[in-house]
Parts: sequence; structure tokens; C-alpha cells
Amino acid sequence: MKKQILIVPFIFFALILLVFFYLLIIERNPAELPSNLLNKNVPKFETNSLIKKEKFISSKEFGNEIVLVNFFATWCKPCLEEHDYIKRFSNEKKIRIIGINYKDNKKTVINWLNKLGNPYSNVPIDKDGKIAIDWGVYGIPETFVINSKGIIKYKHIGPITEKTYKKINLLIKKIE
Amino acid sequence: MVPLFGNFALWLSLFFAISQFFISKNNNLKLIKVSVNGLLISSLISFFLLMYSHVISDFSLLNVFQNSHTTKPMLYKISGMWGNHEGSMLLWILVLTIFNYFIFKFYNKSNYKFVSKILETQAFITIGFVLFTIITSNPFEKIIPTPENGLGFNPILQDPALAIHPPLLYIGYVGLSAAFSTGVAALKLSDNEKIPWHSYMKPFVITAWTFLTMGIALGSIWAYYELGWGGWWFWDPVENASFMPWLLATALLHSLIIVERKKSLQTWALLLSILAFLLSVIGTFLVRSGILTSVHTFALDPSRGIYILLFTAVLGIYALMLFWKKSQKYSDNNYFAFFSKEGSILVNNVLMVVVCATVFLGTIYPLLIEALTANKISVGEPFYNSTVIPMMMPAILVMGIGPLLSWTKEDKLKIFKKIFPSILLTGIMTVLIFLFYQSYSAIGIMGIILAFWIISNNLLMIFKKNRNYSAGMIVSHLGVGLLILGITGSSVWQTEKIIRMKIEDQTKIEKYTIVFEKIDEIKGANYLALQGNFLVYDEEKNIITKLKPQNRFYPITNNFTTEASIHTNLLRDLYVVFGEGNLKDGWIVKFYYNPLVIWIWIGALIIFFGGIISIKINLNKLRILN
Repeated sequence: MKKQILIVPFIFFALILLVFFYLLIIERNPAELPSNLLNKNVPKFETNSLIKKEKFISSKEFGNEIVLVNFFATWCKPCLEEHDYIKRFSNEKKIRIIGINYKDNKKTVINWLNKLGNPYSNVPIDKDGKIAIDWGVYGIPETFVINSKGIIKYKHIGPITEKTYKKINLLIKKIE
Repeated sequence: MVPLFGNFALWLSLFFAISQFFISKNNNLKLIKVSVNGLLISSLISFFLLMYSHVISDFSLLNVFQNSHTTKPMLYKISGMWGNHEGSMLLWILVLTIFNYFIFKFYNKSNYKFVSKILETQAFITIGFVLFTIITSNPFEKIIPTPENGLGFNPILQDPALAIHPPLLYIGYVGLSAAFSTGVAALKLSDNEKIPWHSYMKPFVITAWTFLTMGIALGSIWAYYELGWGGWWFWDPVENASFMPWLLATALLHSLIIVERKKSLQTWALLLSILAFLLSVIGTFLVRSGILTSVHTFALDPSRGIYILLFTAVLGIYALMLFWKKSQKYSDNNYFAFFSKEGSILVNNVLMVVVCATVFLGTIYPLLIEALTANKISVGEPFYNSTVIPMMMPAILVMGIGPLLSWTKEDKLKIFKKIFPSILLTGIMTVLIFLFYQSYSAIGIMGIILAFWIISNNLLMIFKKNRNYSAGMIVSHLGVGLLILGITGSSVWQTEKIIRMKIEDQTKIEKYTIVFEKIDEIKGANYLALQGNFLVYDEEKNIITKLKPQNRFYPITNNFTTEASIHTNLLRDLYVVFGEGNLKDGWIVKFYYNPLVIWIWIGALIIFFGGIISIKINLNKLRILN
């Protein structure tokens, strides 16, 4: 056997390593999935509200200003983690946030919001998860940015972190 | 106290691994012995300390808090210890040190130079994994203040098959590390040292392969029973991560037979031994770095990914450089006749490696595309079905005939005489099964023929007079035949039916009539369940069984799971999944009719026994050599 052939496995291995290092280094988020809803109107839905007497009707709520839609539940740990950022959107940036409460218990949610503070302007209830299906939600928490024409501009899967908080703020400035 | 002792034991493992690494160069038997035993004992201590903390639900440990709960049954408290990333690293290290201990057992006056070289590499690998655990994944981290109860652990993982799946799998992966170290040691030997390195490597490879096979099979069983998707293999990246080393281990195992007998193909076998373990570590990297998303992914942490990748780089670059520089002394210019035992093994080797490369490509292709074009694609079943299956078919054909061939060269007429009885037997069995099933499709017929081809060849081998076949081989190959039977039956003839049913509704699947009798509420150890009761009748209106699929709710984690209910016999599985619904609209119910599934598990079990027999035979051979 020629000696030169024996280096081939090494070369292949080095190439594969480079690919893996590249994949680790580039800003890549496996949780970022493309959404078919991007640049489309928000899905229409009607449901009860947790904090208001009147029904939540989506056509009335979207299309006037920039709105964040946040799917959350009290049983979801990452939702607790991102709650401070949701509050900062509401308190510091004065953005209207709709928190869609996903498969949850009414009393627990009210307690949860009383304890942690309620950043949401309205909390429509998605008791059986059907609204989440219409929105193409993979798993909560998920956050959508909706522009003043009621069109979905951005979707984030997973809890909001410092990085995504900044990213979403930049995006909001841009579409304003 | 536990965190203190646990950390101490971990650092002690690191210390002994480092000392083994340096001392093994000096061939000081006493000191090596101290290091090897110290390593084993310290890793046993850290392993059982964590296990103890899980058993007594000591929530002052972050690891226990995050992965356990007081209401969890004891079996799952124990298995919960390795059901998470940090804890599983302790299992990994323990298995490493156990293999390390067995390598040391081979140490004697005539081979000490060689064995100490194996121990040196093994120590290096151990250092890498212990450091990884201490730096990025310490299971002994404390949490202050101590929480009252834990966060439970994913109920979908509370399953007996899955409880023992990781240990078996790790024996497989880590066993390949011993083969890797042996390969590296063989490359490091100087030209005038002649050591039958393959005799040392073979028991490790067979052990690894046997347990890997069983580990993968148990993972499949779990997927089949627990996920409620009616299937048992989904070409998930993590399944692939275990399948790839298995393919290379299969190739390595068979090439070692040629090395043993003909002293040929040594370079190739050495390369396989290096690649098989590298693939195991790369698999670990894929699963634990968060680079892929899959049902299996552990908690994501990029620093872990970078560490494992760097470690893989060090191992791979060193071993493959060594291979490049030193493997020439093992190369030969022997040519094999196509119609010979070694010829057939070589064909199988090449096919296994090509299949492995294909699976590898399929696994990382979506990542490549995403990095280059920012598009997300997924590579799934259609790709693997159209690539892997056509390559496996000739491999299986050759597998039936290979063991019958003579070494060096075989006359074609003689071959025909040898295989004529099994062709006959295969024909008869195939006709019989199709008389029964009466469903014909090209792929189904081929699969069944191949399955019976393997089964009849091996059955006939048992009854041959002057047989010099290895018993382990015959048993394992027989298992493979049954496995193929099950795979073909369940994938070609599966029928499925999804309907909405109210109480007292009935439906038909194949020849069975199924009546939805009633709904029960069940209170389990740590869950509440809604259970559907289904009565199954055959054509003569005899009741065959009651199927009771459940919809479980785990209040601790607020999780829903479905428990499929399955009625199994040797010919088919009836598989029912109870979906969402209510009294008014009825429930969504999924029925699967899965022919011959049980033969997959029986086949895997028989392969496992064949492997165990082979381990014994090869250990005896080595003992005689020593």
C-alpha cells in the first residue's frame, strides 16, 4: 500500500472537524425555526379573557400599534425565566403585550401574575391549545412581534434572554 | 457532605488517571496497579454517591433537584441518575474505568510493553472525560437553599426499557474506547515487536458490539411502546449517532476474523478501531452540544460542545497522524478471491462502511445546508430507505453465504452444492409465509427471502457434521435473520387506522373488530390517567383481548403522555393509542396492525446471546495466549 493513501482518513477527519467548529462558532440557534406565518396577518381567534370581562376578539386587538404576543403558562419554567424581560418590554419600552395563556389553570395564573407582576395588557385563554396550533407554536414560551398593520414580523422560540431582548427592541425600532 | 465527598472522588479519579498516564510508561507494575485500582474505586465512589443522593432524594444537590422527585418509583429514582447529562457522565466514567481494569488484567511479563501502551491511551481518554465532567458538567453542584421537592423527571423517560438503555449503550461506546486504545498501542509498537494485537482487541470489540446492539434494541423498544407512533425506528439524529458506531463495530469485528486467520487487512482493522470510537465521541458531541435538536437532546450548553469537540480533535488528530506515520508496517499486498470467506467478509466490510458514511452524511447534511444557505431542511426516512436498504440487501445476501465458504478460494460448483439445501429451505419457507399473508410487494418478498436465507443457512450449519463454525456466530446470525423478518413484516405490512370513537362505537382493522367499551379514571403512583377500554374480537366473534391505552397526566411536571396498549403474539401486534377527546365528541383513537414486530426483539435478544457466547470464546483464546 502506498503511504500517501494512509493520510486520507486524517484529511477527512480534519475537514469534518472544521465543519463542526464552524457550526459551533457561527451564530446559529437550532431553536430558530422558519415560520410560514412571517409577513402574514395574525390568525383570527376569539376566546375568553383571563383579566377582562369581555371576550378577546383578535380583529379588534391587532392592527393599531406594534404588539408583542407571548405564549406562556405557569407550569413552564422558561416562562418564569423570561418574565422579567416581558416586564421590561412593558415598563421600559411601553410596548403593548398580549399574553396568550396556554393550557393552564385559571386560578394559578391569576396568583402567578399577582405575585410576579402582570406585564400583559390582555390575557386570552388558550385552554386546549388550539390557538397555539393556529399560530404554529412549537413549544412555549414563544414570542411574536406584530406590526401596526397586524402582520407578523418576527417569531422567537424559547425564553427571551438579554440577547434576544436587545434584538427584538432593535427590530421594533426598525419597523416603527 | 455528599457534594464534598463526591467532588473529592472526582478529583481523585482525575489524579489516578493522570498518574496512570505517566506511570504506565515506566512499566512499574505496583504503581500501575495502584492507579488502576484507585481509578476504579474512586469512580465507583462518585457514581454510588450520586446514586445514593437520588435514592434518598437529597434535593440539596442541583442534579437531584432538577431530575428527581419524592413521588417517583424507586427504579426511576435510580435510573434518573443516569437519565440526565451530568449523572450520565459519571456512568460513562465508571464504565471507562471498568474497561481499564479489565485491560490491566491482561498484563503479564510477556506483553507488558503492549498492555501498558493500551493503559496509557485509556488513561488519556479517562482524563479527558473526567476533566469534562468537572469543568462543564459537575453533578455534585449544590443548590441553596435546599428546595422541598424536585422538579421530577420527564415522565416519558420513566420506562423500564429506558432505565437500562443507557448503561448498555455506554458499555458499547466505551468498549470501543478499549478497541481504540488497543489500536493506538499496536501502532506505537516498534517494528521488531510482534504482538497479536487483534487477540486483545477482539474481546473488547465483541463486548462493545454486543452491548451496543442490545442498547439500541432497548431504545427501539422504548420508542415503540412509549412514543405511541406505531414505529420503532425514526432515523432521529441520536438514533443515528448510535447506529454509526454500531456499523463500524460490525465491520471491525468481521475484519478482525481475517486478521486473526490470514494476518491480512491489519491496516484496515486498525483504522476501523480508531474511527469507531471517534464516531462514538462525535455522537456524544452531536447529542450534547445542542448542535442538533432532537427528542433526545440533553440540556444545551455551547461550552460543552466546544470541549467535546476539542477533545475529539486531540484524540482523532493524534490517532490518525499515528496511523498515517506508522500503519505501513502492518500493510500487505494480499489479494482476496471474491468467492472465499475473506472475500465475503471484505464485501460486507465495505458495505457497512459505505452505509455508515451515508448515515453520517444524512445526519449532518441539514447542518451543512443551514450553515451555507440559511435554509432549514430535514433528512428523513425517504432518504435512508432509498440508500441504506438497497445497500443492506446485498450485505445480507453475502452474510448468508460467507460463513459457508472456505478460506482462500472456493470452487463455484462446490459453493452451489453447499448452498443448494438452504436455497430449497428458503424457497419453502417463503412460499409458506406468503400463502399465509397473501400480500405481495417487491420489497416485502425480497425482505422475507433474505430473512429466511439467513435463517435457513444458519439452521443448516448447526446440523452440519464436521462443523468448525463459531457457535456465537451462528447464534448471532440466526438472530439477525429473525430481526430482518420482523423489520420486513412490520414495515411492509403495517396498517394503520385513525378514527374518532365514542363509547360503544366499533371499528375494524384487518380481521379484528374492536369495540370501545368504556372509560376509566386511574390514579397511578405519580400520575392520573384516563384509560380507554377496548374489546377486541376475531372473525368468529371470540373475544381475544382487552386493550387499555392510557392518556396520562403527570401533575408534578404538568406533562401529558400517552401509553399505548399492545396485544402481542408471534404473528402480529395490535397497537392502540388513545388520543385527545371528550365524552360528547368522542376520542381520537389510533390503531396499528404491526405484523411480526416481536421478531425484532427476539432477534435482538438472540444476537445478544450470540455475542455473549463469542465474548467467552474469545476471552478463553486470549487466556490461552497469555
